[in-house]
Amino acid sequence: MNGQYASLLIALPLISAFFVPVFKGIGKNAVRYFLILVTALQTGIAAWVFKEVYTTGQPIIVIAGGWKPPVGINLYIGHFAALFVLIIAVVSLFMAVFSISAVKTEPIDKYAMLFLLLMLGATGMIATGDIFNLFVFMEITAISAYALTAYNKTGEAAEASMKYIILGGIGSSFFLIGVALIYGSLGTLNMAQIAQLAATMNPTVAQVGLALIIFGLAVEAEIFPLNAWAPDAYQAAPHPITVMFSAFVVKAALYAMARLIYLMSDVGSWNSVLRMLIIMATLTVVVAELAALRQKNVKRMIAYSSIAQVGLIALAFALGTQAGVDAGVFHMINHAVVKALLFLAVGYVAITLGGAEVENFKGLGKKMPRTAFAISIGAIATVGIPLFNVFWSKVRIILATIDVGYTWAAVLVLSASVVEAVYYFRLLHTIWFEGEGEKINESFVIGLMMLFLAALVVVIGVYPDYVWELARKAGEDIFNVTQYVKNVPLMGVGA
Amino acid sequence: MVVKRALAIITLLVIGYWLAVGLSQVPFGEDKMLIGQYYLDNVKDQTGAVNAVTAVVVNYRGFDTLGEVTVLFIASTGVGALLWKRKKKRTAKTEGSIVLTTGTRLLFPFVMLFGAYIFIHGHLTPGGGFPGGATVATAFLLLYLAYIAYEIPHRGFEVTEGLAGMGYVTVGLIGLAIGGYFLFDWIWQTWQFGTDNIGRLLSGGFIPIIYTIIGIKVGTELSGIIDNMVKEEVSE
Repeated sequence: MNGQYASLLIALPLISAFFVPVFKGIGKNAVRYFLILVTALQTGIAAWVFKEVYTTGQPIIVIAGGWKPPVGINLYIGHFAALFVLIIAVVSLFMAVFSISAVKTEPIDKYAMLFLLLMLGATGMIATGDIFNLFVFMEITAISAYALTAYNKTGEAAEASMKYIILGGIGSSFFLIGVALIYGSLGTLNMAQIAQLAATMNPTVAQVGLALIIFGLAVEAEIFPLNAWAPDAYQAAPHPITVMFSAFVVKAALYAMARLIYLMSDVGSWNSVLRMLIIMATLTVVVAELAALRQKNVKRMIAYSSIAQVGLIALAFALGTQAGVDAGVFHMINHAVVKALLFLAVGYVAITLGGAEVENFKGLGKKMPRTAFAISIGAIATVGIPLFNVFWSKVRIILATIDVGYTWAAVLVLSASVVEAVYYFRLLHTIWFEGEGEKINESFVIGLMMLFLAALVVVIGVYPDYVWELARKAGEDIFNVTQYVKNVPLMGVGA
Repeated sequence: MVVKRALAIITLLVIGYWLAVGLSQVPFGEDKMLIGQYYLDNVKDQTGAVNAVTAVVVNYRGFDTLGEVTVLFIASTGVGALLWKRKKKRTAKTEGSIVLTTGTRLLFPFVMLFGAYIFIHGHLTPGGGFPGGATVATAFLLLYLAYIAYEIPHRGFEVTEGLAGMGYVTVGLIGLAIGGYFLFDWIWQTWQFGTDNIGRLLSGGFIPIIYTIIGIKVGTELSGIIDNMVKEEVSE
């Protein structure tokens, strides 16, 4: 089949979101099932794209409008994008199912539209091959995230969304100034052509431009000191949306950051930018783990833990080596699985027992054994115990860090992991050894989703090689810029 | 307080200096038009538009515009979601003066006509779908300001908005089916409709069609945002 059909990944969620206001008169349940149908179709297309890219080994280049880059915009669906588009689609499908029981607040039709557009934005950010187009998709993601954060209409939610809007708005403006600087000095917006011309760029301009872009993306990527919005937003947003934030919205921004950094690796001032990012990433891990230690709300605690993991990924990407990037991608996959499991389970507890405070988790092992089991698997995996998936990616990140000589960063990150173990095991103790309770009927469908994710955690933990192979190919996609440029059919304008 | 302000000013000065150093190295105004020159040289033959900006925005980089339309859609949906109440009513108390209401009644059709003119002539004159749509929304804003009881027909507006968005994506999908690329300009490049007519109304490939869709969409969307914001909840 023609590779251009991969553009349906963008077209399908868009046309479906626009379709919702047309038919919403039929009823609320129609909207809910429509959401499941669309995300299922998206998963099908993503699976086809994944299969296509991994069997041929060639990226799919979608050329919008038939204008070859750099005149037109192209999507670049290589190993990385194919893998993550699939992850995005699968997580969205799960969350569409979860939304049926988790989202009761009106208006459900607006929720469905914003949900689809959040998925679309993250897909576009990962697939695009043009920096201004990246900005547009980042805005789509960010603005639907603002609206979804405030969706529950409580005071808390409004405040969280307000913080997010202000920080996000400032971040996007900086990103745009960075894009303007790069365009001003190179005269092109296409990522492949930027990579080609990067060596000719004035080092000062490149440093300022790249730093502004990283600063702008750091808001979405939850890097310290720009992540103050994240714990509030995670706590206040509807439960399925929290899962989407942690499973792929933040990943899309991290990926965009890594992609742009490596594209410009020929620039003279490259190493100073990397060093800045390493410091920020290490601080993210340490600060977030320490903050998680004192939380009374389990959802907020896991939100901090998620930020810490994201810091680890950023650290891996900032090392500037093949091993680091591969480990970062591997951790991205593992983190997406584990945090989807944890937020899904905690969200389910919160809607069943009315809130995610620690008190509600007392005796959970007796009240909701299946959910408690899922939380336990997720918690143990996050800490990084062998035979669970996160262990392998954490080890690889630490090894890669030491390899480059940043022993201080590795030591700080490892000590932060000890802190992580403390609060997760405290939570496990609360669940299994405290409190009493009657057994509550648990939803079969949600149990099935949790079982699938938990099984994935263990299977990757026991047989990491297959997923590691995927991560290595995807990492190659980011790190090997020469190959990236070669794959994009530039039409030689001006070059 | 003073310390805080002084620190803020110093930080801003440092950032400003840093940006200025970066900017001073950028050769603005010099011949750095890698892609820009290509657009200027080929815009008429390849897209049929006389207005190079709209050709870039809708045709060469149409993917971005589709994204921007989506951003606006999210904004109006978001406002709608956050201000959603079971029952809402306008709360304005004083009717506008007779001069205002009469003036509005006279102006309304002219503003609408001008808005439509802007988005229909996007490929020929400055403007296009976004300014045209904003002008149309201004006409509805006038009605809201002049009359205390005026309300747009919501259901109709929402459906129109959705259909317009679907229309844009559908035009793109037809391009995928006919030309093999998403957002391919099939009217110009496959049908070659209007190729001998450059500079007149019936030319420009799918640009006028897409701009009409965008104009309708932006007009209904902004009117919807206004409507959501001027209303308050009534208890039942």
